[in-house]
Amino acid sequence: MATVASATPPVEVPRAESQWLAGLPRALTILVTAAAVLAPLSLIVYQSLLSAPFFDAVKTVGLDAYAFVFADPDFWSALVNSLLIAAGMTVIAVPLGAILAFVMERTDFPGKRWIEPVILVPSFVSPMVLSFGYVVAAGPVGFYSVWATEVFGAAPWGLYSLTGMAVIAGLTHVPNVYIYASSALKSLGSDVEEAARVAGASPFRVAVSVSLPLIAPALLFSAVLVFFLGIELFGLPLVLGDPEGHLVLSTYLYKLTNKLGTPSYHLMAAVAVCIVAMTIPLVLLQRRLLQNARKYATIKGKAGRIRDLPLGRWKWFAVAVIGAWLIAAVIVPISGIALRAFVTNWGFGVNLAEAFTLDNFRAVFDEPTHVRAIWNTVLIGTVGGAITVACYTAIGFATHRRNDGWSRVVDYLVLVPRAVPGLLIGLAFLWVFLFFPPLAPLRKTIFSMWIAYTVVWLAYGMRLISSSLLQVSTELEEAARTVGASRGRISREITLPLIRHGLLGSWLLVFMIFEREYSTGVYLLAPGTEVIGAQLVSLWQGGAIDVVAALSLINIVLVFIGLAFALRFGVKLRD
Amino acid sequence: MAELTVENLHLQYGDNPILKGVTMTLNRGEVVSLLGPSGSGKTTLLRAVAGLEVPHQGSIRIGDKVVFDGSRRIDIPAEARNLGLVFQSYALWPHKTVFDNVAYGLKLRNVGASDVAARVTTALEQLSLGHLAQRFPHQLSGGQQQRVALARALVYNPPVILLDEPLSNLDAKLREEARAWLRELIVRMQLSALCVTHDQGEALAMSDRILLLNGGRIEQQGTPQQMYSTPETLFTADFMGSNNRLPGRVAEVRDGAALLEGDGWRLWGTAKAGAASGKDGVGMIRLERIRIAEGDGDNRLAANLTTSMYLGDKWEHLFALGNERLRAYGDRPLAAGRHWLELPRHDFWVF
Repeated sequence: MATVASATPPVEVPRAESQWLAGLPRALTILVTAAAVLAPLSLIVYQSLLSAPFFDAVKTVGLDAYAFVFADPDFWSALVNSLLIAAGMTVIAVPLGAILAFVMERTDFPGKRWIEPVILVPSFVSPMVLSFGYVVAAGPVGFYSVWATEVFGAAPWGLYSLTGMAVIAGLTHVPNVYIYASSALKSLGSDVEEAARVAGASPFRVAVSVSLPLIAPALLFSAVLVFFLGIELFGLPLVLGDPEGHLVLSTYLYKLTNKLGTPSYHLMAAVAVCIVAMTIPLVLLQRRLLQNARKYATIKGKAGRIRDLPLGRWKWFAVAVIGAWLIAAVIVPISGIALRAFVTNWGFGVNLAEAFTLDNFRAVFDEPTHVRAIWNTVLIGTVGGAITVACYTAIGFATHRRNDGWSRVVDYLVLVPRAVPGLLIGLAFLWVFLFFPPLAPLRKTIFSMWIAYTVVWLAYGMRLISSSLLQVSTELEEAARTVGASRGRISREITLPLIRHGLLGSWLLVFMIFEREYSTGVYLLAPGTEVIGAQLVSLWQGGAIDVVAALSLINIVLVFIGLAFALRFGVKLRD
Repeated sequence: MAELTVENLHLQYGDNPILKGVTMTLNRGEVVSLLGPSGSGKTTLLRAVAGLEVPHQGSIRIGDKVVFDGSRRIDIPAEARNLGLVFQSYALWPHKTVFDNVAYGLKLRNVGASDVAARVTTALEQLSLGHLAQRFPHQLSGGQQQRVALARALVYNPPVILLDEPLSNLDAKLREEARAWLRELIVRMQLSALCVTHDQGEALAMSDRILLLNGGRIEQQGTPQQMYSTPETLFTADFMGSNNRLPGRVAEVRDGAALLEGDGWRLWGTAKAGAASGKDGVGMIRLERIRIAEGDGDNRLAANLTTSMYLGDKWEHLFALGNERLRAYGDRPLAAGRHWLELPRHDFWVF
């Protein structure tokens, strides 16, 4: 019998590329990443040590900027406000998120399937838009306040106090806790809970004495995460803190721009360094806790399909709690914007039907900068998002299955922007474009926005990419190696085709966060680089409420289009 | 001629040594099995040969080409070693058809398209997969997937084919058929194969030679018959086959025979390494070698029947001897009570 083995001699693999050449793409990727992350940040640190903006002729190196900031009582009150709000929202968001996760993951709560995407809405809609929604819905002359006053004589809520901000921040950050708590519950084997029930524990006892302690690491992680997000808060205190003059760190920094008349870059840099000094330890702590939480989750039990716990008479209580939260965190702000976008004005004694108008949208579409903002926002989400995902994928491949020093360097590089609020990264990129003259021409193009967005969301995007990469079994790549494929060919011909669905999902998620983004663009906003998010901040400062409402609604619609596609293609909305 | 030579191979993960000096050869047309309990280093050895793990000492040669040498800092990467590896999970690429899975290795070798088609078709037909060429892996049964994995590893004629637990992913019933089929294929195609398995039955049936690994070292190697019938160490004796263990005290060693004494019994057996007069010893005998006798006699002992299990083709009887348990096969059920068991001298090994 003619056999393959004996009839023909072995075919050897042609070895073309040298080791050096094969490593080149990886080295380039790491180099570019390092430049994109470190250049803006080092510029911030450098600027903070100067006595004047870096382009000034007269400047000295020293701690003058810090001395000025630390002598300013506004800075200290902003710091205290930031800490209070962050603590308050953590106290509100963590228990609510945990309860929500338990109810959604483990009980027979009615309508779970369609509620899940609704729960995540506050994390997809721009905080700027949400805050604006609260103002027009529940501010002193908001729709619901007016109605409440007509019915009860007064609206029983005050939005603009520190407490009001903490409550709203807490309610809108429930999804952040929910995401981690529910994935912890998912990976927690249901058998440990079933064992408790068989041993005689009621559903409530099971939740309190088994499930909760086992997801404690995930809850601790999300508590630190929410606190960290509280320190970073910008849009919400900008909109809600303004009327009563409450400043937090980021709004203090934002107001510094105009404080001295001239650009006070050195002061802003000093505040930025202070903020980063607080967030970096928080980010490192989160990393630690997350690894810990994962370790915990994988030891416990077998993940199997659990039978839903019957809520019984608790059902109506759960419906009431979750319904109240949904109304407060989703329905009130979004319905507020939707209404406000279609009325000429609003206040006591105004009839909705009479005030109805489409003029707000006409005003948006008559103004070329607004049209450009919409167009740019769509462009940066679709084309920009695709290029961003390609960049993240390249970085992902640079560390994929490599356990050397360079991979660890990239790990930390990716983590760094996580600690820097978008507002600061936008500012730093503005400086980069001013500081390096060869880059100046890019400053007035949408590229400047795109690169800042890409760096801000680096950590988030890399999590998406690496979770796709981790799903590719090692053996599939090893099999390609043993049949003779080089690293480059394995990446292109085996791994990349295998993660294409993951990449499509990442693209949709990146689209949504790019539509939602607002703070990163604040300082990069210029003729040619308009995006809706940054435009809203600028318009809000100018008091153009009608246009803000219409643009906000357009922004929400764009995000929802992305959400609809994501749901249609079965993209996991969280990791 | 040796197709594969491994000399004094050491490998560790961090501070944890996995291979502690393994030396072996694989000759042309030979099937060698790496057998051992989990953690013995058998899969690591196979992966080191494939180039997927990096040893820190020793050498590996394929034919006369050195692919790894710790002292000369030679480490040819896996993709340039030109070996065929069949993974335990088969690791078929889910995004490629059966044809493309098999063809990939040839495309990497810049074989012309018509030549690729001809070779892949031949390989698929040899493994009775011709009609499945356009299917995707998830449309195949486990047995078919295994054959595709084999075809993929064989199509470019590697000098050595490496098999990692090739049968462990198949159902028990399918496994025995696949074992016979695989053995026949290897012999027919005159392949030189290195095969990892933890199943001693599989190793006995499939291989020309067995290497038994224990804690990163080769405990014993030889033909299946040698490994089963003349184990040199207690570990080998214990690992191969189903055994009875009788701890006792060695009373006498004479002419290659040892006398083992326990509570109320004395048995002569073949003296193995380590059996010394006056020391504690362990007697060992395969289940199928114990004979249920009618009464007292040479090398017999009396034990109480605890229970019997019906296995279909025979009975397995469980006896109690003090705190020890003895198991023996019989062809009929036994009455409760005391029975005499004969442990033939030649089959009773004293370690």
